Amino acid sequence: MSAVTVSDLVKSYTPGTRVLDGISLHIESGAFFTLLGPSGCGKTTLLRCIAGFLDPDAGQIHAGADRLDTMAAHRRDIGMVFQDYAIFPHLTVAENVGFGLKARRMPPAEIAPRVAEALRMVRLDGMAARLPADLSGGQQQRVGLARAMAIRPRLLLMDEPLSNLDAKLRIELREDIRDLQRRLGITTIYVTHDQEEALAVSDSICVMNAGRIEQIADPFTLYRAPQTRFAASFVGSMNFLPARIEDGRLHLGALSVPVSSDVQGTVEIAIRPEDTVLGTGKLALAGQVAKITFLGREALAAIETPLGPMQHLAANPSATLLRAAGSAISLDLPTERIAVFAPDGSRVAVTFS
Amino acid sequence: MRRADPWRIVQAAVWLLLALLLAWPLWGILRASLIVGSEPGFGNFVEILRQPRHLRAIGNTLLVGAGGMTGALLLGVTLAFLVVRVRLRGRAALQTLAVLALVSPPFIGAYAWIVLFGANGAVRRGLMEIGITIPPIYGAAGVMLVFSFKFFPNVFLIVSAALAQVNRSLEEAAEGLGLSPARRLMQVTLPMILPAISAAALLAFVLSIADFGTPRLIGRDFEVLATQAFLLYAADLGENPGLASALSLVLVALSMLLVLAQRRLLQRDVFHGSLLKPRPPSTLRGWRNIGAHVLAWLIVGVGIAPGLVVLVFSFRATRGPVFQPGFGLASYERVFHAVTLPVWNTLLFSTAAVACIVVAGTLIGYLITRRRSRATAILDGVLMVPYVVPGVVMGIGFVAAFNAPPVAITGTGLVIVLAIFIRRLPYSARAAATALRQVSPSLEDAAISLGLSPGRAFLRVTARLILPGILAGGMMSFVTAMNELSSSLVLYVSGTITMPVRIYVAVVNGDYGVAAALSSILLGITALAVYAAFRLSDRKDASFVG
Repeated sequence: MSAVTVSDLVKSYTPGTRVLDGISLHIESGAFFTLLGPSGCGKTTLLRCIAGFLDPDAGQIHAGADRLDTMAAHRRDIGMVFQDYAIFPHLTVAENVGFGLKARRMPPAEIAPRVAEALRMVRLDGMAARLPADLSGGQQQRVGLARAMAIRPRLLLMDEPLSNLDAKLRIELREDIRDLQRRLGITTIYVTHDQEEALAVSDSICVMNAGRIEQIADPFTLYRAPQTRFAASFVGSMNFLPARIEDGRLHLGALSVPVSSDVQGTVEIAIRPEDTVLGTGKLALAGQVAKITFLGREALAAIETPLGPMQHLAANPSATLLRAAGSAISLDLPTERIAVFAPDGSRVAVTFS
Repeated sequence: MRRADPWRIVQAAVWLLLALLLAWPLWGILRASLIVGSEPGFGNFVEILRQPRHLRAIGNTLLVGAGGMTGALLLGVTLAFLVVRVRLRGRAALQTLAVLALVSPPFIGAYAWIVLFGANGAVRRGLMEIGITIPPIYGAAGVMLVFSFKFFPNVFLIVSAALAQVNRSLEEAAEGLGLSPARRLMQVTLPMILPAISAAALLAFVLSIADFGTPRLIGRDFEVLATQAFLLYAADLGENPGLASALSLVLVALSMLLVLAQRRLLQRDVFHGSLLKPRPPSTLRGWRNIGAHVLAWLIVGVGIAPGLVVLVFSFRATRGPVFQPGFGLASYERVFHAVTLPVWNTLLFSTAAVACIVVAGTLIGYLITRRRSRATAILDGVLMVPYVVPGVVMGIGFVAAFNAPPVAITGTGLVIVLAIFIRRLPYSARAAATALRQVSPSLEDAAISLGLSPGRAFLRVTARLILPGILAGGMMSFVTAMNELSSSLVLYVSGTITMPVRIYVAVVNGDYGVAAALSSILLGITALAVYAAFRLSDRKDASFVG
């Protein structure tokens, strides 16, 4: 197990467009670290640079004391789990799991117990002699996980391992991956575009956008205190409204509240749907309910306000609310839940008094 | 780049190979075409424009190209619709026979048609006895007729594959929206398979204008560019190959122009049914059912007739070169006593060429699918060039390039092997690329991350998975290599004569018995290779998808 340090990594496929634009990060030994971002943000490119399938143009990658980026991919001792499973179709489950051990010229007598152990770990005992074509997608990905773990890698990389599975299996396997990772304490880098998945499994999440890091934080901090507008909009849902800070007050349409901040002028305020309150208050917008979507445990109200559309998430929705479409409503934005972003997307420190 | 990638070395080697075997010979032709006597100049091209004989050859080439294409399209598209859309008895047999017609030696068709409909042809004489006189097959119409029956299997295979891919939901949607069957065909089905039809048409055209054996044997006084270039080349061997080279370039230019025109016509994306739900064939009743069967079997029957005719004639009794009444093995005896050299040469050259084609084709297929870059995209484009360079032209180019040091290999078996190699390489590379697209690239990444070096990962995983496809492709390459006539005809000397060349010589000399026996042997080996290819591609591992 080792800590991973990436410093000033740059990668371009075509000159002029940087897929990785100076990435630096540090991953604690034994951490479950997730790269989260939309497609094209560079997360998979970063993962493939660490795995050794891509050569970065500049920068360094270290694992513990070893420099990885100058090492050939097949000597890096990194386990990798692939989105399309990448199970060798011509080999049995046991041969797949033992593949890396055989490549290391381990004697067959030692391979067998290691394979059995790895299969037990992913709960596939008894499947050793099967061919991959006989396995379900979830089982194939378990083989992929066992195969990667069998070589006892210093680092485990996972490239959207669950995105080809159906919803129920995805949650089941995600829990198994998390439990296994905790038990073995292996440093893991996990790539996903699914923010819910990232929140559920990670010790630490790195939100990426356009080849840059937006924010690295634990799931709670990331959700509660996003540091950029992008991180705020990508993780969870978020309402944004245009506002101004002028003369020590935050102006929202005709409303205003006193505020202290270093920034003046046009800003954007953000608040999560579950943080808005139906009722009156210091920053209460008058609006009209456009639509109610009932989700069982909760309901989502789409509300038209003079400043733009807003969403309100109501826990345990009442029967009255479900029939509220079309009615006038007052939506309060509690100031302690409001985040403010400058036009360049950075977070603005404000104190509401 | 800090680490060695073995594929860099492979790519460098491939470019070197293409420079030597493709660019250098074509450059040789270009250079020769621009020399008149010993002075540089455009005289040869002026000569082509001034001489009615050459202008006529250009016109004739376009004529047989268009005629062959039209005929092959009519037959091939009709058969494709019948086989894919109508429940026919013996459907598998029809498909197999169509493939056999495709791979049967190229000029056997021409020869068999002469045997049946030539000046002294069996059918023509028979008809004359009952008072019906038909003109002999020689001439433009004969060439186009032979081309139609020779190239329709190409059209059939391409169009039927496309037709089977048309998602039935689309046609059902059109039906639901109230389109009559005829309008559905014109407005939905045909536009979907139009890319395939136009690709097939192009192929039939390019094959027709590149063909040498058919117009040479059936055309008589009817000259096309391929035959004229060869005759000029053969006539002034060693003196001034300028005019032959210039004619060759005109032929290449025509092919190239067509390829570009088709690309322009087809700017639109090829449509792919995302969900493969082919429409089940419908059952016809009564006269329409009988008509469909007769039509399908007639097309395929005429397609394979040449092979059968040759087989029958090879067992006819002969005295010297003349057929006698009755049957016997005299032709085979003559082959085994006097003409075994071409048989051994053909097997040797084809095996050598195919071994190289399979290895190089697999590596190139890998480069263009898995190591995408501007360079490999250009490589993919360069691979189109051998498609549009007719065999006669390639042969003349090889003579121009390899007749003198630094590489003086004309007159050896090697030069024949290399010509076959470069002519058939694109097919093998494309086949390998297709097979590779079925295998997920992450399989190789997985093998590398598990500790295999990139070279070993390719061999142990990727190559292993595409092996059945490659071997099947190799067998098909073997078939085309064995049947190569036009480039070998330019490049052979008496010691390196091959079966197709010997058959051609026998037909030209009127020695039909030996021609029939040699053709039958060639057909037999071809059938064995095709059978092997079928068996290989039917193996279970061929269906692996990563």
